[in-house]
Amino acid sequence: MRAALHALGLILLSYASAASACGHCVEDKVAAVYDYAVVTQAFKQKHQVAFFGIDGALVVNDNSRREIEAIARDIPGLDKGSMRVSLESAALSVAFDPARTSFAKLQSALERKLAPKKLSLLPMRVIDEPAKLKTVSK
Amino acid sequence: MHIPPLIRVVSFCAAGLLLAACNQSTPKPAVAATSADPYDISKMVLKSDPAKVTSERHTGPFAEGASLSMGNELKPLDPSPVKVVRLDTTHKIIEIAPGVKFSAWTFGNQVPGPTIRARVGDKIKFSMTNRSDEVMPGVNMTAAPMMHSMDFHAAMVSPQDKYRSIAPGQTIEFEFTANYPGVFMFHCGTPMILEHIASGMYGALIVEPRGGYPTKADREYIVTQSEFYVKPDPQKRKVDDQPLYVLDGDNLKKALPSYTVFNGVHNGMVKHPLPAKPGERVRLFILNVGPSKTSSFHVVGTIFDRVWMDGNPDNQFRGMQTVLLGSSSSAIVEFMVPEAGQYIMVDHHFANASQGAIGLIDAGAVKPSETNDLEHHNMPATSTPTEPAAVQGKLDFESKCLACHSVGRGKKLGPDLLGVTKLRTDEWLTKWLKSPEKMLETDADAKALLKEFNNIPMPNQNLSDTEIQQYLKYFHWIDTQPPGTIHSAEGSH
Repeated sequence: MRAALHALGLILLSYASAASACGHCVEDKVAAVYDYAVVTQAFKQKHQVAFFGIDGALVVNDNSRREIEAIARDIPGLDKGSMRVSLESAALSVAFDPARTSFAKLQSALERKLAPKKLSLLPMRVIDEPAKLKTVSK
Repeated sequence: MHIPPLIRVVSFCAAGLLLAACNQSTPKPAVAATSADPYDISKMVLKSDPAKVTSERHTGPFAEGASLSMGNELKPLDPSPVKVVRLDTTHKIIEIAPGVKFSAWTFGNQVPGPTIRARVGDKIKFSMTNRSDEVMPGVNMTAAPMMHSMDFHAAMVSPQDKYRSIAPGQTIEFEFTANYPGVFMFHCGTPMILEHIASGMYGALIVEPRGGYPTKADREYIVTQSEFYVKPDPQKRKVDDQPLYVLDGDNLKKALPSYTVFNGVHNGMVKHPLPAKPGERVRLFILNVGPSKTSSFHVVGTIFDRVWMDGNPDNQFRGMQTVLLGSSSSAIVEFMVPEAGQYIMVDHHFANASQGAIGLIDAGAVKPSETNDLEHHNMPATSTPTEPAAVQGKLDFESKCLACHSVGRGKKLGPDLLGVTKLRTDEWLTKWLKSPEKMLETDADAKALLKEFNNIPMPNQNLSDTEIQQYLKYFHWIDTQPPGTIHSAEGSH
């Protein structure tokens, strides 16, 4: 189990560095799905907000947006109604309760639901206090 | 020693041929051949420390730096080789036209942002706190806080490092060296960039040549052209009893602006002209920030003695009538003010001018003719109507129209409106006030007016039906007064 977690950590790090290789794009993707109301609400509840890039062939239309927004349903620890999706910037953000789930578990849960669409997620940033966008590897 | 002339000529030619042959056989590297080249890449500063992002928030003023000019008039160059510049981002309500309160996003709490002035070789030490989450005094109807960034066109840096978007409460610091002279745009580069620029996040960074400009100007002004795309707030919120306007995303994407303006205000420099004197050389730093329209900048009554495209004197034209600027293009134009008068700055794409891209350079009143002078002396004090609608019409006229029209004092940018209700029917005037641009397409009288007044169109003031009726009441009241008793409160500019 410990080895598996270690491996998952390494995978996360490699994804993070891949995304961080283009900081401009990462910050832009984060900005595209940064919703101040969601972030503020999350802080009030001591929750965090995770930012992911979406990797894969995205279809940019309303139907695709609805389908991606729908993956947030029934994921434990995820704040209902907090998902923000930008198809144009290929990014999504979502607030979660760190007491009930972790960033890695959240990513796995979201990716399982995205798999049929041949999409995966690139960890970008997590924000757990005002004005601090942390890289996921930290 | 005597050398016969023929031999001297042959020797000279041979030496010349030899030199030419040497030049052909041993071409020198471009850099070595142009050692005095001010654009020598090897002498440019292309490295800088990585940008620093912190959660330490600036407080106090939103803009700071000795190199900043906050208004139309430009301060002289600050001699310091290091320019410390701080421009924080804010969200605030600005008035872009009379009664049009717009929810804007800013650099330095103003639109356009303050103008930065530097010189080639200067280091710019820049810092910015995203203060879009701060509540501005008085009005709390601005857009939700969001991430912002700064993109300096004057810089040669890694955008991934320096132009990062920062969240509300974060501060970014970075520095760069100005390597090229020019008038460079800066803007927020955070997606959707179109929305960030259209909401007001832009300004100019002027970089003078290392040795200064080759001419001496008496006046220096910045003129930044931009478009606003606005619609009434769907939530019908009001600011100071006037409707709040917000960004019109649909028209923004279609490049259908509501206003095209100089220095952030519809007809702003008509109401507050830029001063100059006859015989002076005026230098205008023109920047078109768009985001989507081209400018054909012209000053009525003069010719540009020099035009330096993108603000670089090495890109010089002489004797130009207009200068064509795409989005994020600039120029420095210089001209002499030939005589007293009002010189009209205009985007000669007149659809843009009709949306507010007009300004004045005021070089003093033209000496009145003998006849006008006599009329002036015969004028009694201003009268005032008593009917409320006419009173409101008078107030509106004096706040919105006096820059271009007089009553009983002759032509200005537009016609004298004394007697207008005798010249035109109410129906015609109503259509004209409602939609002058449509009238100019179809109505012969409107077309004739445009021609008579130097092709300067009447701007659409977006008047309501009630406001139009109030204007008509006022105009009718004027025309019922005894001849010679009515005139507007001021003379010409």
